[in-house]
Amino acid sequence: MLELRLVQGSLLKKVLEAIKDLVNDANFDCSATGFSLQAMDSSHVALVALLLRSEGFEHYRCDRNISMGMNLNNMSKMLKCAGNDDIITIKADDGGDTVTFMFESPTQDKISDFEMKLMDIDSEHLGIPEAEYQSIVRMPSAEFARICKDLSSIGDTVVISVTKEGVKFSTRGDIGTANIVLRQNTSVDKPEEATIIEMNEPVSLTFALRYMSSFTKATPLSSTVTISLSSELPVVVEYKIAEMGHIRFYLAPKIEEDEDESKPQV
Amino acid sequence: MLTLRPSHLLRCTCLSRPFNLLIPPISSLSFRPKPLSLSSLNPYSNMSSRPSAFDALMSNARRLAAKKTPSSSSSPAKKRKSPSPTPNPNAIDPTELKPDPEIPTAGIEKPINDSPKPNLDETEKPTDSKKAKAAGSASERNAELKGKIGLLKKKPADFDPKTVACWGKGERVPFLFPSLAFDLISNETGRIVITDIVCNMLRTVIDTTPDDLAATVYLAANKIAPAHEGLELGIGDASIIKALAEACGRTEPHIKTQYKEKGDLGLVAQASRSSQSMMRRPAPLTVVKVFESFRLIAKESGKDSQEKKKNRIKALLVAATDCEPLYLIRLLQTKLRIGFSEQTLLAALGQAAVYNEHHSRPPPNIQSPLEEAAKIVKQVFSILPVYDIIVPALLTGGVWDLPKTCSFTPGVPVGPMLAKPTKGVAEIVNKFQDIDFVCEYKYDGERAQIHYMENGSVEIYSRNAERNTGKFPDVVSAITRFKKSSVKSFVLDCELVAYDRAQKKILPFQILSTRARKNVVVSEIKVDVCIFAFDILYLNGQSLLHEQLKVRKEKLYDSFEEESGFFQFATALTSNDLEEIQKFLDSAVSSSCEGLIIKTLDRDATYEPSKRSLNWLKLKKDYMESIGDTLDLVPIAAFHGRGKRTGIYGAFLLACYDDTNEEFQSICKIGTGFSEAQLEERSASLRSKVIPEPKSYYRCEVKPDVWFETSEVWEVKVADLTISPVYSAAIGIVDPAKGISLRFPRLVRVREDKTPEQATSSEQVAEMYNAQKHNQTNNEEDGEDD
Repeated sequence: MLELRLVQGSLLKKVLEAIKDLVNDANFDCSATGFSLQAMDSSHVALVALLLRSEGFEHYRCDRNISMGMNLNNMSKMLKCAGNDDIITIKADDGGDTVTFMFESPTQDKISDFEMKLMDIDSEHLGIPEAEYQSIVRMPSAEFARICKDLSSIGDTVVISVTKEGVKFSTRGDIGTANIVLRQNTSVDKPEEATIIEMNEPVSLTFALRYMSSFTKATPLSSTVTISLSSELPVVVEYKIAEMGHIRFYLAPKIEEDEDESKPQV
Repeated sequence: MLTLRPSHLLRCTCLSRPFNLLIPPISSLSFRPKPLSLSSLNPYSNMSSRPSAFDALMSNARRLAAKKTPSSSSSPAKKRKSPSPTPNPNAIDPTELKPDPEIPTAGIEKPINDSPKPNLDETEKPTDSKKAKAAGSASERNAELKGKIGLLKKKPADFDPKTVACWGKGERVPFLFPSLAFDLISNETGRIVITDIVCNMLRTVIDTTPDDLAATVYLAANKIAPAHEGLELGIGDASIIKALAEACGRTEPHIKTQYKEKGDLGLVAQASRSSQSMMRRPAPLTVVKVFESFRLIAKESGKDSQEKKKNRIKALLVAATDCEPLYLIRLLQTKLRIGFSEQTLLAALGQAAVYNEHHSRPPPNIQSPLEEAAKIVKQVFSILPVYDIIVPALLTGGVWDLPKTCSFTPGVPVGPMLAKPTKGVAEIVNKFQDIDFVCEYKYDGERAQIHYMENGSVEIYSRNAERNTGKFPDVVSAITRFKKSSVKSFVLDCELVAYDRAQKKILPFQILSTRARKNVVVSEIKVDVCIFAFDILYLNGQSLLHEQLKVRKEKLYDSFEEESGFFQFATALTSNDLEEIQKFLDSAVSSSCEGLIIKTLDRDATYEPSKRSLNWLKLKKDYMESIGDTLDLVPIAAFHGRGKRTGIYGAFLLACYDDTNEEFQSICKIGTGFSEAQLEERSASLRSKVIPEPKSYYRCEVKPDVWFETSEVWEVKVADLTISPVYSAAIGIVDPAKGISLRFPRLVRVREDKTPEQATSSEQVAEMYNAQKHNQTNNEEDGEDD
């Protein structure tokens, strides 16, 4: 028996909007500690990890660990039927093949039940270790979204380099090039407007902008975003979900082209 | 099981990478796994060499973990005392990753592997050695398989099916196996060697995982379902290019440029080194996984179906390694083109079954059981072209009982029996001396096989075994009216002909072709058709294929009632009087028929599916006017027009199809027989098929201005056939170094019902040439002197 009651229903809606374009089908795993998801996109280039801790729910009951395979597009269709102020309850029976979403309006005068079929999804769960990164950048999420959007109109890839000077996002396309540099800035009124750069070692990595832009769909979840970089490692783009958990996107870097072309072609 | 394997494979790479062990923790931050160096180990240097960034993440993290727990007390001392030259993954514990004077040397010889995947969850648990062996890294397995694949070339008699397989009994066959076998085949030209390879490949599959045999056979046949199911992949190059671009992190224009250079998307896929690293490599492809994905791709329909298809292709491409991308793409394009035909596959299947025979014994008096088995499988396939039935029947019932277990079934169309061309009534009378034969009108319509099942349902199949039921709802609803009440099920061979019921007149084929192709509604039909039935293949649960025509005809006449303008028996004449037949031919031509079909009645008169048999001859009115038959040929290239034809193509280069070598062979230029409008229409329609270079499977010595992708089939009438040093048709059959060309070719019409592969075959061309030479040796020599 599973019953999760989330007062801030809009949060779940936002989570779905953030990941449904990246991943088609995924398993939601529920345990006594929380509600989580881990999935890779079809190219195995990006990985999304979601965690909503049990403390964040008004009511959290999960008798035994359960894994529910859902088509995220269908799930999103259902959640779109919930109002932004609605309380969402997720219910499922052990061994059942459906999940129920219940939406209650804040005034309790409207209660809707949506039942969705579950699916069997083959997926391997990866243990992701906590790594130490060469550079970590924290910045306003809206700023990051804006940068990705702007660069996408010029090129396909983004080079993110962290140096003493700050963090630089650059791209190159048929029409020209673009460089955006952000400097450390902590003297702001609100802490979430700060840009904080922790650099242990300079790092420069190239990524497909398509994925980065897709990650920024999580912007409504958090006012800040943390980007952790290390050479040859997947970048982690993390959006904290207030008091509940996080959504983390991992993206494998591109292999730099010039290095690529210097390799003998077979 | 499958989903688990990659995860514990995941484990050994990181741990067995020697430099992990060598690098002191302090420098771990500058650790670079050098993913690119991996590719140099791979002869194909393709997407397979894509490094997994996740591996790096994992190993890095593990090292950090090791740094945090410097205590080595948990690591069993006994393990450290026995370092083997190749590090055994289960002997290494994360805690051992810290620098240790004893261990580093242990790992040095171990080559870097790119594909195996370690799994964190299991790292702490010591595994038994068996498991470690099973984990023995995907790339090692690939290398092993590659090393052994050449063994498939052994003579089947000396081949032990256990030698090549590197996967366990009952495990899914890796897709790499058929891919490597295809690679082997593509380098061979001899039919016997190719048959041996295919046979040994199938035997290996039977020996390990018989459940995968059907999927393997389907892939080798480059099919996803029997033809009558009408299931097609329906993927254009555009989708493949998109999927390729996304799978290897390239742009579409980049792929397109490469496509132009190489002319084969398969080669592009093979050469496309990825510019995008992966979180982690997906599980290796299996034959079943690939085949099932193909079927799912074919079944996608409706909104976003192209997108869904593309995503499925991408998922396959991402997991493909080695030479897999090449064959994956070619299979998707249904252009395997490695030089072996389905007949070869059937022969190999039959032979493989003989070696595997436990179930039934060969009939005692057979001299060569292998050839006999090949014949049986081919024959069974011709009446039941469904691998899903034949393959399990072979495995459970054995090859000698196959004809009993697999027989003609209503609902599964057989290839229609075909007729050979002849040149005149005299030839027929000569050929059929002392044999009873019947002459029938050859109607100019659409060949159809009407299946009436016992449950009352009706299906209509075309000449190519495609389901045409939706095109003729009027026939479906009417057919029950004509059968006598005693008839419970039947299969009719007939011609559907456009018919003017008011004037009781047969209308030409062109009228019939104006009918809509599918989802026709009865009330909207403007062109009526009449069914002209001439043969019956199945009646009340009994196959009649082995009955003589005389018997079949009697059954046909006994089972149906004619209804003028709706259902008629083909007009027939039994006579061997030359004069009478000539008259009959004239009357056939005057009632808008193409000519006559002449069939033997009671000697060698069984129904031979898909065979162009000498027992059926056709006599067309055209043959009266000139010599020879029409040929169905494929335009493969063109010459720019000059003068009046500037701006369009002035002449086209035609080719026939050689199904032995799977190639198109040039046969003649054609520039006449076109109306101006026709020429423009053909130019326009072919202009979109222009390709920069001839396909590898075009055989042609002529240098045209532009090349085409094969797409159309043209019916061409010719005056006669000559030996030519310039053209390549039927080269090696009539003359070792010269081909056959056509004199005075004229376009008759575009054959929309034929695909390029169904064009006149080079064997037919050679036969026509020989027949012509035989009949008019003197004229021929005169002709060549011109």
